[in-house]
Amino acid sequence: MNLLAPVTLTHYLVLAALLFCIGIYGAVSRKNAIGILMALELVFNAVNLTFVAAGRFRPAPDAVGQLFALFVIAAAAAESVLGLAIILAIYRRRVVVNADEMDLMKY
Amino acid sequence: MQALLFYALAAALLVSAGLVVTSRNIFHAALWLAVALFVVAALYVMLGAYFLAAIQVLIYIGAVVVLAIFVINLTRTVVGAPVTLARRWVIPAALVSALTACLIAVALAKSELPGGPAPDTGGVDWTSALGRHLLGDYVIPFELVSVLLLAALIAAIAIVGKDREDEK
Repeated sequence: MNLLAPVTLTHYLVLAALLFCIGIYGAVSRKNAIGILMALELVFNAVNLTFVAAGRFRPAPDAVGQLFALFVIAAAAAESVLGLAIILAIYRRRVVVNADEMDLMKY
Repeated sequence: MQALLFYALAAALLVSAGLVVTSRNIFHAALWLAVALFVVAALYVMLGAYFLAAIQVLIYIGAVVVLAIFVINLTRTVVGAPVTLARRWVIPAALVSALTACLIAVALAKSELPGGPAPDTGGVDWTSALGRHLLGDYVIPFELVSVLLLAALIAAIAIVGKDREDEK
C-alpha cells in the first residue's frame, strides 16, 4: 500500500463508514442516555463527511454536498437540544439517566 | 503530503471516536467527542469546505458538546463515578456494528466511484456558492430549517419548564 498515493473518494467513504459503525456500536452499547446521544452525533458526522466528500469528488464539484451537510447539522442540533431536554426532565422527576431504567411507558 | 495528513487525521478521528463510545467516564467521553468533531472539521478543511468547518466548530463543539457537558453536570450522580457499560449488550452491539459495516462494504464494492484525486476546481469560492444555493434553489428547505429550530426551541422550553411548575 502506497501511503503517498493521492487521497481518493474511497478513502473518505471508508473512513466515514468506520466512524458510522463506531457510532452505531456506541448507541447500542451505552447505558447512559447522554452517551447514546453523543454516539449519535458521531453517526451524524459520518453522514456529513460522506456528503461533503461526495460533493467534492464529483466530476464537476459543486456545493450541494456541503448544503446537505449544513441541513443535517441544523437537524442534529435540534435533535440534541430536545434529547437533552427530555433527559433532564426525566432526571428531575425520576432521578434516572440510564436508558434501560426509563421504562415508565413500557407497561 | 496531503495523503499523510489524511491518514494522520483519520487515525486521530477513529481513536477519539472509539474513546467516545468506550470511555468509562461520561465526562471524558464528552471531551473526546469534542476532539473527534474537531478532527472532522479539519477533514472539511482538507476537502475545501471552509465554511462548513467553521460551522462544525461553532455549532458542534461550541453548542452541542457544551450542552451535553451541562446536562452531564446537572445529572450529577454520574460525574466522576465510572459509567459502566451495559456488559451484556457489548456483543450484540459489536454484532450490529459489524453487520452495518458489511452492508456498507457491499454497497461500496458495488458502486462505481470516481477514482483518482479530487478534480481541480481552480479556487472556487464554496462559501459564496453555498450562499447562492441557500437563497436560490434551496430557499424553501432553508426556511423550513428555521421553523424546525424554532419548534425545537419552544419544545425544549415546554419540556424542561413544565417540570418546575409541578414542583411548586
